[in-house]
Amino acid sequence: MKVTVNGTVLELDPGTSAIDAVFAAGFDVPYFCSQPYMSPIGACRMCLARIGAPRKERDGSWILDESSGEPKVFYFPAMMATCTTAIMEGMVIDTLSKDVKDAQNAMVEFTLINHPLDCPVCDKGGACELQDRAYEYGTGRSRFVFDKRHQEKHHPLSALITLDRERCIHCKRCVRYFEEVPGDEVLDFIERGGHTYIGTLEDGLPSNFTGNITDICPVGALLDATSRFRGRNWEYDHTFTTSLDDASGSAIVVDARTGRIERIKSGLNPEVNKSWIDDGIRFGHEYADDPERLKRPLLRRGEGFEEVSWEEAAAFVAERLAGFSGKDVGVAIRADATLEEGVAARALAQHVGTGQLDHAPRHGPSLVPLHGATVLDVATADALLVLGDVTEELPALDLRIKDALKGVSPPELFAHGVPIADLRLKERMPRASERLAVVAPYRVDLMKYAGAAVQVPVAGEAAWLQAMAAVAHAQPADEAVLGMPRAEAESLVRAWREAQKPIMIVGGFVLASEAATEAAASLAKAVGFRQVLVPPMANGVGLEITQVLPSHARYDYQGMLGGSAKALVLSNLNPAVDPAVAERLRSCELLVVHDLFLTETARLAHVVLPGTSGYEKDGTMVSLEGRFLPVRAAPVDAGEARDLTGVVKALGEAFGQRLEGRSVRSARRVLRKELGFDPTELHRLGLLRELPRRRAIVSLNVRETVVGDSLRVPSLARPEYLGRNAHLRAALGGPALRLHPEDAAARGLRTGDEVVVPVDGVPRRLEVRVSDAVPRGVSLVPATPEAPAGPAAVALDDLVHERRALEVA
Amino acid sequence: MSVLDIAKGMGVTLSHLFKKPVTVRYPDEPVQIKARFRGRHHLLRHPDTGLEKCIGCSLCAAACPAYAIYVEAAENDPENPTSAGERYASIYEINMLRCIFCGFCEEACPTSAVVLGHEFELADFRYQDFVYGKEDMLVGVKGSKWQRREAAAKGTEVRVALEAPGRPELEGVDY
Repeated sequence: MKVTVNGTVLELDPGTSAIDAVFAAGFDVPYFCSQPYMSPIGACRMCLARIGAPRKERDGSWILDESSGEPKVFYFPAMMATCTTAIMEGMVIDTLSKDVKDAQNAMVEFTLINHPLDCPVCDKGGACELQDRAYEYGTGRSRFVFDKRHQEKHHPLSALITLDRERCIHCKRCVRYFEEVPGDEVLDFIERGGHTYIGTLEDGLPSNFTGNITDICPVGALLDATSRFRGRNWEYDHTFTTSLDDASGSAIVVDARTGRIERIKSGLNPEVNKSWIDDGIRFGHEYADDPERLKRPLLRRGEGFEEVSWEEAAAFVAERLAGFSGKDVGVAIRADATLEEGVAARALAQHVGTGQLDHAPRHGPSLVPLHGATVLDVATADALLVLGDVTEELPALDLRIKDALKGVSPPELFAHGVPIADLRLKERMPRASERLAVVAPYRVDLMKYAGAAVQVPVAGEAAWLQAMAAVAHAQPADEAVLGMPRAEAESLVRAWREAQKPIMIVGGFVLASEAATEAAASLAKAVGFRQVLVPPMANGVGLEITQVLPSHARYDYQGMLGGSAKALVLSNLNPAVDPAVAERLRSCELLVVHDLFLTETARLAHVVLPGTSGYEKDGTMVSLEGRFLPVRAAPVDAGEARDLTGVVKALGEAFGQRLEGRSVRSARRVLRKELGFDPTELHRLGLLRELPRRRAIVSLNVRETVVGDSLRVPSLARPEYLGRNAHLRAALGGPALRLHPEDAAARGLRTGDEVVVPVDGVPRRLEVRVSDAVPRGVSLVPATPEAPAGPAAVALDDLVHERRALEVA
Repeated sequence: MSVLDIAKGMGVTLSHLFKKPVTVRYPDEPVQIKARFRGRHHLLRHPDTGLEKCIGCSLCAAACPAYAIYVEAAENDPENPTSAGERYASIYEINMLRCIFCGFCEEACPTSAVVLGHEFELADFRYQDFVYGKEDMLVGVKGSKWQRREAAAKGTEVRVALEAPGRPELEGVDY
């Protein structure tokens, strides 16, 4: 369609909004309420413009201007909000005339009637849309001399978000966000007119995606409580990087000041997380600034440790390692290490000549599916089968599933980026629940949206998948196992088969079991699903394809801990939380631990090397869809902490050898040869590649457990750091023992009780939370990197009450 | 050159013999400072409540062309506030070696909390002694770090060898 914006003629697709036409033409128009990826509603009336279009006669011919002979442009009688106006053939938009300027001035003046203008103390100051627009489009004076509205200045909406009700300009972005994006309606307008304010019905914001409202708030009304008054916007160093908190590959911006991480904001990656991140990623950074962080290497001297230089620590390790036969040495790293760190670990294992190399947590089966799907495929799928609790395991995927239910395809990008107003999006859009089937061992959040929700017994996924495959092959199947009448199962299979783009999302509960993973693959084959496998940690896929794997199944991580290694190098792993493992590690002849904190395992070590967090290293990660994404180091003061390439560098120098992977650059030289491209040149949005499937190593690589009737469940907040993330912990509560109300009542437990309970023989301190989402007889405990999601044995009989919750009157 | 010219010159010299000398016997005598002179900064308080005027907004640091100012803010304890409002400066430092005494910080300050005063005797020995914190600049503190250190060692009062007419902006500062 031909549109003229201030004399510039453009050709745009029908359905484009007038505001995008203005920006596409290179002009600017102010706006507060429109937000990419959300419905335009025209609430703020800021994007006014004079708009006109030609009209047609009854016979279909254009009404012509008598003097020029061109189609005559009829202007709307009043200024139009460009964000809610769709373009028409021959539309003329004017944003520069005096009338438009006057209207914009008046709107700025009106918006500022009740705004307190306390910019100097506002955390949004310097990055505030209202500040910028008032400066660009306002006159700088107001005719309203009466007192401004006075409301609450620092209302804690939750432990994570502070609301300043005076600053709110009622753009409705946050209210719409909760309804449209995560679907949790936890905020709304209360009262009317000038008295309108944002509020919640209950205490707190029960949603996993609350932090995004601090990004989209055009003023300083909704603010990140973790960075409250920590710095001004122009003082932060912004590092555009990728989150290593989960395998989604979500883009984040790390804002640091004077060597501290002050806040994390969402980055934009249209093909992965759009502009949304979950609260675990956004608020789970405080541990990186924890005063207990290790800053210098420690060397054991008797019972205690002594701070030494890296050279001294490395010399000690090299000298001791020389006394071992190569095959007695084990190297294990946590599965959120970067590819470069993987190369370094591999080089170290090669140098000492051991096959005992592994990353953990890791599932037995490969994380590269036979027919994989991308995150964008999930967002455009027309049939989805979700196995597990994706909302907690990989929250970014949860949002893309909800996109698929809306049925609105991802928008085409303009030169100015994501469309500011996508007119296909509406408030309260229906979500096509028949597209979604969810199978999990307890009631998960996503079941609210699912047309078919099946609660299987603990470790019952394999049986369900086999039964479903039997239905697909028209064989007999037990209806009790299916959890639904056979006719329903048949219609489900039919819907999957008829779908253009059916996708199966396989979570940790299934991947924890070899049989279930195979059953999932055969159902996928029978129905035509493409699969998305959810790795247990950020770079599980990447470390798999860089072959940070044992040479033999019995040399895996559990094997090393079980006694096959006399000398152990562990990076960021803490197996000694298990007293039995701790006992074995005590007899280890050499234990080198590379970690951020003095963990239980580090306390047993001979040498402790200070490690870097996921925000402080340069490298590359591979997300669950096979997207190579850059990880960049934020300027954080971490003392002498080094990532694994730094460890290998120090050790190599002590060996007198130049090991591969002694630096990020050296590791990238190796990667370039193996991958066929240079990770140094990776774009911020990443590079999607076909991945090779790995040779199968049949080992689950997690602690062998008594298969109990309980479950270790994933959580969006990293359990290993939750205790050091004060704000996140205050909002989500501590690590929880979730019980069915009847089970809790039978044992006299109430929400808030602190208990110590053996989980697979490991005593864990947990907070009781009573929930009817949990099936009877099952207790849910958080998974950890040492013990990822899967069945567990929780010995409720051996439970010790530490502290009872206060009686609520 | 004539004899007359010489006489003229000598006349100028002679006339000065009977004028008051310009030379000041500094530091035994105070220097007369003009009101517009910009010296060491003062952090002011509200005279009626005694609360600090500084709200820790860091605009002075943003305006500073020499990057001499560092501010860290914190939230006021509502029971026992440091400043008026929600926010106060928990750290406020000016590096006097970097400062060029341009006065931009004073202009940028939305609460008139930081004002350049008249003290100029800032010479000292160690680098870190040129970094002035809140305790060195809050109203009521007289003299430079070195002057206060010496006065404390000698057990005398801090003597600032200057006399200034003062400015209305220097609310509560007494020379």
